[in-house]
Amino acid sequence: MLPMSVPLLDYVALSSVIFFIGVAGVLIRRNPLIVLMSIELMFNAANLLFMAFSRAWAHNAGHIFAFLVITVAAAEAAIGLAIVVTVFRTARHVDVDDVALMKG
Amino acid sequence: MTHYQMGNPGSYPYLLALWLLPLVGAIVAWAFGPQLKRLAGPLCSALLGASFVATLLSWHDATQSVATGAANLVGAHQALVSWIPGFNFGLLLDPLSLLWTCIITGVGFLIHVYSIGYMEGDNAFARFFAYLNFFVFAMLTLVLSDNFVGLLVGWGLVGLASYFLIGFWFYKPSAVAAARKAFVINVAGDVGIMFAIFMIVASVHSISYGDVFGSVGSLSTPWLLAICICLFIGAAAKSAQVPLHTWLPDAMEGPTPVSALIHAATMVTAGVYLVARCAPLWSQSPDAQLLVGSIGGVTALAGAILGCVQWDIKRILAYSTMSQIGYMIMGVGVGAYEGGVAHFFTHAFFKAQLFLGSGIIIHALANEQDVRRMGGLVKKLPFAFVAMLVGVLAICGIPGFSGSFSKDAVIYGTLQHGHPVLYAVGILTAGITAYYMFRLLFVTFLGAYRGEVDPSDLGIRHPELAGTHTAHDDHGHDAHHAPAWLMNVPVGILIVPSILAGWLLFGGENSPWAHFFAQQFPQATLATPAVSEMTTTLIVLACVAIGIAIAWRRYATRDAQDTAVERLRTESVKMPAILANAFYFDAALDLVFVRSSQLLGTLFGRLIDPQVIDGAVRETAFSAQWLGTFVRSFQTGLVRAYAFILVLGVACFLVYYAVTAGGLH
Amino acid sequence: MLAFGILAVILLASAIWTVSAKKPVYSVVALLLHFAALAATYLMLNAEFLAVIQLIVYSGAILILFLFVIALLSSGVAPFSVGPNKMPKLAIPAVVLVLVALGAVTVGVAHLVVPVATSTGGSPVGPAGTADVFGSVGDFGKALFTTYLLPFEITALVLMVAVIGVILLAGDRSPYVPSQKQAREVRREMREAIVRGGDR
Repeated sequence: MLPMSVPLLDYVALSSVIFFIGVAGVLIRRNPLIVLMSIELMFNAANLLFMAFSRAWAHNAGHIFAFLVITVAAAEAAIGLAIVVTVFRTARHVDVDDVALMKG
Repeated sequence: MTHYQMGNPGSYPYLLALWLLPLVGAIVAWAFGPQLKRLAGPLCSALLGASFVATLLSWHDATQSVATGAANLVGAHQALVSWIPGFNFGLLLDPLSLLWTCIITGVGFLIHVYSIGYMEGDNAFARFFAYLNFFVFAMLTLVLSDNFVGLLVGWGLVGLASYFLIGFWFYKPSAVAAARKAFVINVAGDVGIMFAIFMIVASVHSISYGDVFGSVGSLSTPWLLAICICLFIGAAAKSAQVPLHTWLPDAMEGPTPVSALIHAATMVTAGVYLVARCAPLWSQSPDAQLLVGSIGGVTALAGAILGCVQWDIKRILAYSTMSQIGYMIMGVGVGAYEGGVAHFFTHAFFKAQLFLGSGIIIHALANEQDVRRMGGLVKKLPFAFVAMLVGVLAICGIPGFSGSFSKDAVIYGTLQHGHPVLYAVGILTAGITAYYMFRLLFVTFLGAYRGEVDPSDLGIRHPELAGTHTAHDDHGHDAHHAPAWLMNVPVGILIVPSILAGWLLFGGENSPWAHFFAQQFPQATLATPAVSEMTTTLIVLACVAIGIAIAWRRYATRDAQDTAVERLRTESVKMPAILANAFYFDAALDLVFVRSSQLLGTLFGRLIDPQVIDGAVRETAFSAQWLGTFVRSFQTGLVRAYAFILVLGVACFLVYYAVTAGGLH
Repeated sequence: MLAFGILAVILLASAIWTVSAKKPVYSVVALLLHFAALAATYLMLNAEFLAVIQLIVYSGAILILFLFVIALLSSGVAPFSVGPNKMPKLAIPAVVLVLVALGAVTVGVAHLVVPVATSTGGSPVGPAGTADVFGSVGDFGKALFTTYLLPFEITALVLMVAVIGVILLAGDRSPYVPSQKQAREVRREMREAIVRGGDR
């Protein structure tokens, strides 16, 4: 185990706060691009946690996980942006609340 | 308790043959009726004749099988189905079932031959014989079965056959109604027997007669009484005992040979058979004996009284049948099994003969059944008169004729077993029987022929409803040309046992009859009554003489014959309502069972079904609809709302971990 | 410790800016700052390779993609025009309150469930910068191509699916309809449906 200059719990606290800032962005913002970026924030908060624990335990499984998360995040961003573009092309503007065809 | 003797087990091919031959006839006549045409009658009759011969051969077998001497008939027991645990079906030919089998196949054969003549020209000739043979098979199943379930199977099948044959002329609404009534009441009786079987199985764990009768001593008194009462519900329904008798007079809608075979000689005596068969049960339950004897007495009296006010010749005979079965039930009920069974034996002959004799009259008069429109037939139909006269003398118990022996045995048996009230009822009924049977004889055969008199002058209110003369003209005209011997010969043959059968009882303890049944029935210790048997016979004779005298005075004197039309009209019009409605039994049954069921049905139809059942269904639908509306309100279609709900879910997990985190250390 | 404090402040501030920026392009800039700070944090945690990847993939690829899209959409008329807000007025404060509570609970749970360092089979430990110790590129590479080979291959599949999906979604021709005319018809119907849904 490597000695850590910063306590592990500080990383946990930082990560969770960033995560919930991202959640707030998803819930509050209506611009789909900003929503997608908020999601990226949440991914990165999770990654930070992986890094911190990996460092604490000196085990590189966390790095691998973070690597996979980055891959998925890239794919997600690509798909999400494609959806935004598609919606824009049909409706000529983008608003998260306007895409409500699933209303029961 | 000694082991109940069940006959010698073995293989008895003749027993199987006599049982299955009628079934073969039924199937063949049923399947190939159109091809067989007129041959169906002779074929079925021949098969039944063969069955009768097989009966005699089986009797021989059963007697031979006794090692200790040919004198005692122990019986034959043929196992058939033994691979089902707890259900060993087999055939049992002991004295009791042998007696019934002889009557069923013997008298049945004669009636079959008679039917060839009677049903000549009917469109459904083959179907009729298929039904008749099917009935015989069912009845044989009933009496030959060695267990209660087999008995119940036969019991139900004879009811079915009876239904088929009462409703044989199904284009007559009255026949259909009568068939349905008979079937419903008989099924009610079947249910009674079914419950008895349930109770027997619950206590004895077997349905075999041998096991049940052998362990009767281990049953508690109330339980035994309940079994006996349930069995007797079946017996009462089948044997037309009060208050389940109302189907029997209506059953006369069927063809006359059917009335003779099913509703006089065999099927209606199944109740007598059941009580006699279960004698070991009844002997242990004095309360049940009292109940059965009393109902038999009431039936005998009620049937006789109602027989006095009927005008339809077959209904008179039907009520007389009911009354005579009342005698039998009274006899076997009080414990005088040999007397009761003997009355079945003689009654089968003379009542079949009476019915067949009346059939000759009905046939000759183109299906006229109302005695008010007969009269003076002694010159036209002398053979019918002789046949009817012998039958009437036998049923009235004139000494020397068969009925006198068996009826006296029953009446005296009630006194011997300590039932003086039933004794008095029996004597009174004998007098009334003599009155109405001679009334039938006088009104039918004496005086002038009244067939051309206007029906309203005779007090016939609804001539189109009386009798069946408008119903099936299709065979009425041909009938006059049918060979008379086909109908006359069986009646002539029946005259012999009608007179002589009773002599088997002559000799009391040493009679062939007592010998035959020596090992069949439990012997009770008899009190020596204050009245001797000879005195009883004399008292009965006196009553019979009074009855005949009244009938003579009312219908047979020169004066009465001359004013017959006026007298019959007065009598018809002024009939007391209670007698005209047969003591309101139909109305009472209607009120108690039909109306209450209808009320219950109405209650369910108006209240329970629409409110409770439909209400539950409706409420289920409404609540599903409400739930759907409620859940639908969550589906806003807004992505952020979904995300928020997702976050709430995450929050739940977090709170859960926060609460349980202490345990993770 | 000081470096962590500075980075934490930058991370939080840029995250809040990202979320609260009026225009998406400001968000992208804030996010760029955030990712850079994050890469620095990874370096502090001995994750050299991941720090580089973070800069290349996130800052270099994903954010550029965002910028492309913003540029593409901005050519239209008022692409980010906002209709009437359908969320209740109290929703935003409520959401913030709930999230703050959740954050507090999370930190509390994390304090309660202190991870116990029971590492087995971990990488060899040594000073940063040396080869094949924990956090080095060699160590990471070995793990990725031996122990975690199958997940690595699966990421290729995931990316391929994403590529195909993007082509299907954003491609010029709709692959589900045989003709352009029908595609236009479908698009018109979809537009009407979306507009209807928005008005409802």
